[in-house]
Parts: sequence; C-alpha cells; structure tokens
Amino acid sequence: MYYVADVNETDCAKYNCKQCVLFCPEPNTLMYHDSRHVAWVNYSRCKGCAICVYVCSDLLKRNCIQMVMVTTGD
Amino acid sequence: MGLEYVRISPGFEKYMPKDYVDLVQYGQFGKQIDVQQLGQFKELVEEHPMCAGCFMAYFVRVFYAALPNPEDTIVIGTAGCARLALSQAAVPFIYGNYGDTNAVASGLKRALSIRFPDKTKDVVVIAGDGGLIDIGFGMTMHSWFRREKFTTIMVDNEVYGNTGGQESGMSPKGVQLKMAPKGKQFDKINAVELAKTAGCVYVAKLSPTNPKRIAKTIKRAILAARHFGPTFIHAYTSCNIEYSIPTEKVLEDARKREKQDFAFYEWMTDEVKEFFEEIEKKTEEVKA
Repeated sequence: MYYVADVNETDCAKYNCKQCVLFCPEPNTLMYHDSRHVAWVNYSRCKGCAICVYVCSDLLKRNCIQMVMVTTGD
Repeated sequence: MGLEYVRISPGFEKYMPKDYVDLVQYGQFGKQIDVQQLGQFKELVEEHPMCAGCFMAYFVRVFYAALPNPEDTIVIGTAGCARLALSQAAVPFIYGNYGDTNAVASGLKRALSIRFPDKTKDVVVIAGDGGLIDIGFGMTMHSWFRREKFTTIMVDNEVYGNTGGQESGMSPKGVQLKMAPKGKQFDKINAVELAKTAGCVYVAKLSPTNPKRIAKTIKRAILAARHFGPTFIHAYTSCNIEYSIPTEKVLEDARKREKQDFAFYEWMTDEVKEFFEEIEKKTEEVKA
C-alpha cells in the first residue's frame, strides 16, 4: 500500500492550467490529456511526493488533486 | 548520435520496445518543443531511482525537455545524485570519475569538433556541488581558463547526499548536518563569481521555480557554449532528505530560497548579448 496522487477530473477540467504537470519531478507520470484538458496520473510511476497537491491546493487554491492510498495486485 | 540513428528502420517497429517506439513517434527528437508542453509528449528521461519529491530530479526533467538538439548532445555526469536520473535518458551519458567531468568534457568536445567539423555537437556537464566545486574544483576551473566550449551545470544540493550528509563547500554557513554536527564554519563558495572571473561567457544562477525560465537559461547556456566559450549555470536543487524538507514543501522551499540567496541572476559578455539579441530579432521577424 502506498500513496499516489489522484486528479478529480470534473474539477480539473474546469481550468485549463496544467501547472501541476510542469512541477512534477517524475517524468511521464503526471500527464496532460490534450483533448479532455485534464491532468491524469500514471499510478504505477507516482512516488507520492505531493508537490502537485501543493501546486494545486496551496498555490492555486483549486483543490483538484488528492493523495489516495492504493494497493498493488502483487 | 544523430537523427538517422534515432529513427527505427522500416519494418522493425513491432520488434522494438514500446517505450522506444513512443519516444521516436511522440518524443522530442527532431522537433523544437516548448517546455510548457511537458506532460503532452514522451519525455527523453524515464523512470529513475531518485527520491520522491527530489527537486534535482525535477531539474533534470526540465533540462532534458529544454535541450535544443537532444540527438546531437552528450551529457557527462559523475558520482552524486544527478547521475541516477541522467543515466535513464535517451541521450548518451558518460560517467566521469569523481571530479574529472570537465576534463573528460574538454577532450570530448575537441574530439567531436574534429570528427564532425560540419555538425554541431553539444557537450553538457551536469554534476553536483561536490563533483564540480569540491573534488573537481581544479579541473572545472582549468576547463574554464582554457575556454573550452561546453556547458557546465551545477545542481547544488548543498550537501553530500549519497554518503550520509557531509558538509560541502556549497553548504551555507552555520548549517548543521548529520555528518557535520558542529555546524559549518565557513561561508558558501561564490561559484557564480568564480565562473565569471575564470572566463565563462554566460553565467546564470537560479532556483527551479519557473520551468519556462529554466528552459530559457539552459537553451541560452548551450547556444552560447557552441560559439563563444564556457558557460555555467548554478541551480539550487534542494536535498529534501538531508535538509529534512517534507516532500510537499520542496517547491515552497525553492521559492523561499529564491527570495533569499537564489534570486535569478544572469550575466553574459557583450558579444553573447549581441548574439542573443540577433537571434531574438530573427525569431520575431519569423513570427511577424
């Protein structure tokens, strides 16, 4: 079990900002969907540092990203 | 390398690893991408073993997105944290011995300019404060004295992060670390002034709080190194483990330090300034 970032897509789609994507330290992890205009997380690569949560909630006050506990299959 | 080596021979697409096919199809080879497009293309750097929330990893990510010609670039690193991510990228990476990165880069740049006189090959050194200013100090300074045409980027985490937290020459005065219990007795070395005195033509100091500005600085440093001489970037990339910064506060810390001693600073010689002004004029003409 470990923490990963999870994007609330309905909230995120209201803004066209992608600031969280620009500040993630992990490559190819927090991605941006071109046509749906939402950020999405590749859970298997997320290390759970929560910098995206700081950007979304503390800096921009948009509260679209939360940390959630996930369990892997193996 | 070169673009012809990156492309997959026709008919071999299905035998290549998925990541590589993605890299060729959706990656940045042969394209001029903007750093604001991060997250919308396949990045050069892949999953790496650096700590969660490490801002050095973030700097390396932006660095690869900012490379003007990734297919014609060689990156040189050394022992330290940055090499963990640098070596996971689709750009040739050379692991120098501790301290000799700039000597290796000097030879490599000279050899490349003899072997490929009609092509532009960029050589970039990325090493930590230990590799460049402590242990590699002599070779770093002498490569600048000799005016070797390559870029040196110091990712300064102000500590020896891999080996348990010893103080480095770049640690701020008075800071207490795990292996420096009495606190550091001396001032932080002023690497930017050293670089200016030693003959660098473009010097910048930054804290990674603005990806667009990081990319612009890196692009400028590489372009100036192609034509004029050595260039140097001093980047603050905090060590959240040794300095006990909670991972979600890493960006906050970078912003705080930017207000204190890592305010964005850029210095270049007059000829380099003219060169960039000319380039900007040309791009504006193309846009108009």
